[in-house]
Amino acid sequence: MSALRPAGEFDTSYARDMATIRRPWQWGLLLASIAALYMLPSLASQSLVSLVNRIGISIIAVQGLNLLTGYTGQISLGQAAFMTAGGYISALLVNNAGWSFFAALPVAALGAGIVGLVFGLPSLRVKGFYLVMATLAAQFIIPWFTRNAFPEVLNRAQGLNVQVPVLFGVEFSSPQRYLYITVTVLILSTIAAHNVSRSRLGRALVAIRDNDLAAEVLGVNLFKYKLQAFFLAAVYAGAAGALAAHNIRHLNSETFNLTDSVFYMGMLVVGGLGSSLGPFFGASIVQLLIEGATLFGPFFTRLFPSTAAGAVQALRPLFFGITLMFFLIFEPRGLAHRWYLFKAAWRLRPFSH
Amino acid sequence: MRKYMSYLLSVTVLISLVLAACAPQATPTPEPTKVPTATPVPTEAPTATPEPTKGPPDLTGETITIYHFGDLSGPYAAITAPLIHGAEDAVKAINEAGGLYGATLDIKFADTAGSIDEAVAAYDRFTGEDDNPLVMITYGSGEVEALAQRFATDKIVNISAGLSARGFYIDSGYTFGLGPIYPDQIGAVMAFLKEDWATYKPAGAEDDIKLAHLSWPTAFGQGSLTEESRAYLADLGIEVVAEETYDLSPTADTTTAILNAQAAGANVIWTNTLAFGVSVVLNDLHALGLRDQFVVASDNWGMDLATYAFLAEPAFGVGLISPFPYLWWTDTDNPGVQYAQQLFVANERPAAEHNVGYLLLIAGVDMAMKAMEHAIGTVGYENLTGEAVHDALVAMSPFEALDGVVRADYSAGSRSPHMTQIRMIQGGPDAFVVLQDWTETPDLRPSE
Repeated sequence: MSALRPAGEFDTSYARDMATIRRPWQWGLLLASIAALYMLPSLASQSLVSLVNRIGISIIAVQGLNLLTGYTGQISLGQAAFMTAGGYISALLVNNAGWSFFAALPVAALGAGIVGLVFGLPSLRVKGFYLVMATLAAQFIIPWFTRNAFPEVLNRAQGLNVQVPVLFGVEFSSPQRYLYITVTVLILSTIAAHNVSRSRLGRALVAIRDNDLAAEVLGVNLFKYKLQAFFLAAVYAGAAGALAAHNIRHLNSETFNLTDSVFYMGMLVVGGLGSSLGPFFGASIVQLLIEGATLFGPFFTRLFPSTAAGAVQALRPLFFGITLMFFLIFEPRGLAHRWYLFKAAWRLRPFSH
Repeated sequence: MRKYMSYLLSVTVLISLVLAACAPQATPTPEPTKVPTATPVPTEAPTATPEPTKGPPDLTGETITIYHFGDLSGPYAAITAPLIHGAEDAVKAINEAGGLYGATLDIKFADTAGSIDEAVAAYDRFTGEDDNPLVMITYGSGEVEALAQRFATDKIVNISAGLSARGFYIDSGYTFGLGPIYPDQIGAVMAFLKEDWATYKPAGAEDDIKLAHLSWPTAFGQGSLTEESRAYLADLGIEVVAEETYDLSPTADTTTAILNAQAAGANVIWTNTLAFGVSVVLNDLHALGLRDQFVVASDNWGMDLATYAFLAEPAFGVGLISPFPYLWWTDTDNPGVQYAQQLFVANERPAAEHNVGYLLLIAGVDMAMKAMEHAIGTVGYENLTGEAVHDALVAMSPFEALDGVVRADYSAGSRSPHMTQIRMIQGGPDAFVVLQDWTETPDLRPSE
């Protein structure tokens, strides 16, 4: 959605026209936000830092899904499976080959991207519901592979213990330290995702989403661009999977499952498809809901002591389901759209209508 | 713009490196996590034990918190709810009886929905809000495996119902089991069957035991077949002729798995699942008319009151053999069982929770309570740490929790009990008949 601006406000150069951050105060706010994230480990409790870690990793995974589903219109339920691929590649490179995590991370992302390419192949022939089924296959095949292939390396269903990242002798073993890795990767992934959406590739992806036949008539190579979208989505998933695996320190075929894929899709819907801000809003809101459900569970148990434990303590599916339903009915374009409307209203005040 | 971006990136990377170097570190620095080299673990009583304090201390006004987390909204929820209620009712009863030397026991729970990521989050939350967490209770094999290293690093005792060998012995050290690890369980049952195969073998079966492993494709489901248990079975002369998996669902279809087992010549089926996992196998065996061709055995969780809730007919459960490393509700002459029964009635728990989970977690809390009492008696309340509780569990061994409902022995580097009964369902609910009284399981723990 292009920004609504008051009459008379023009861009006077190409650089300004293309700028994402347009005003000095926006730069200030961005730098302050980044600084606040990096300062968080010193200021916040461990549980909050741990939560921000999880939100950051989720955002990276959802950013990938956003490129595929939000920009290209290819619905995928395989994002968690590609995270598994990335997690295993990184774990094996670090555990068995002695690589540094920081070298293994990009390789894991690329490796997952190649896996994503394979599962993206059907996208030329099938779309919509059928493509969902095709991507769902990844969610079964990849975990099956990790359980049954190369048992002496992948250790069957028991999986792998994963080493913590080490850089110049500094071990990233606490949530506080791990946050620096998460935030740094998140900044890089955000810059990349945002710029992809503004590039020739991004415009081709949007054209495919809006009308693939028209796009093809205009010369957009559907197969090439759809595969690129799958590749990028899986690259992001791979990076997120590697980050999560080294944060959890253990990985098996259950670590990233179908439920996670559904949650990532839900995060994208809640946040807003096809927007750089969507993954931030969606992942944050859903993860906060999960956290809220966990924190309020014991409170509800004390409030209703005679109720079965699961009915009041395990509110997570309820919170997630109701939120998703709410957004699908009342704001299907997600929180990002609501944010754009708010910004437009602010800029045009007092003539917001 | 590009210039600004490159500045921003450079500054970002620089800041992250500097801040990472200055960031707080989990104390103490963890051991490297390379597999399979193990974290060295103290297995004996502490060498420099302070002088025992004189008389029981008065800890009135103090609060000691036990943390527990497990799956209440995911696939394992059916078994987790009674486990949680057992733990919470036990804590409540202890407080009503005066607490731990006057200190109030608090218990905090977090739902993980079966997600390992959420288990780590719960762990981070609990360790973040408590400077000196002593004991945590966990319920799932996946959680135990993922967190074992953290428990060891942070020196927090984990009393677990998830009996994965890997969680107890690889990069571990502070995780203690409420029952034998799954490799020990399959080993115990197979040794028992081997000993008396003539009595239990299906009509027309060969003289050799041929085992089919039908289970869930999860860390828990595959937890019984390890290198050690495979070698042990081979030593017994038992061949594993089929390894099949089926869905982690009460409505899973195991027909193909059973037919594959039959085609492979199996005469014993082992399933490492919960009550509903065993039930689907038994239901499908009856539906196929093949029940009399197999001895069906499972891990301890398979033989439970909950099993009957998932069986198409109660009679389908007859003949199921399981290791039974605790007493049962029908052992009413045992004071521990009587105590558990009193708590169950007093807290008006539903009949469906009159199962293994509830009973075992009362024993688990009793075990934690005993260990903390012992630790306080040894090092004093002011020096009470997870390490002291760990050392207490080792020093107390062998001991009985809840008056013998569970028999624990954490000596000689073992962190899982090695005693079990073997029982068989021979009738309706609760007819879990003892085939072999308390006996030692084989020790099939992996090398650390």
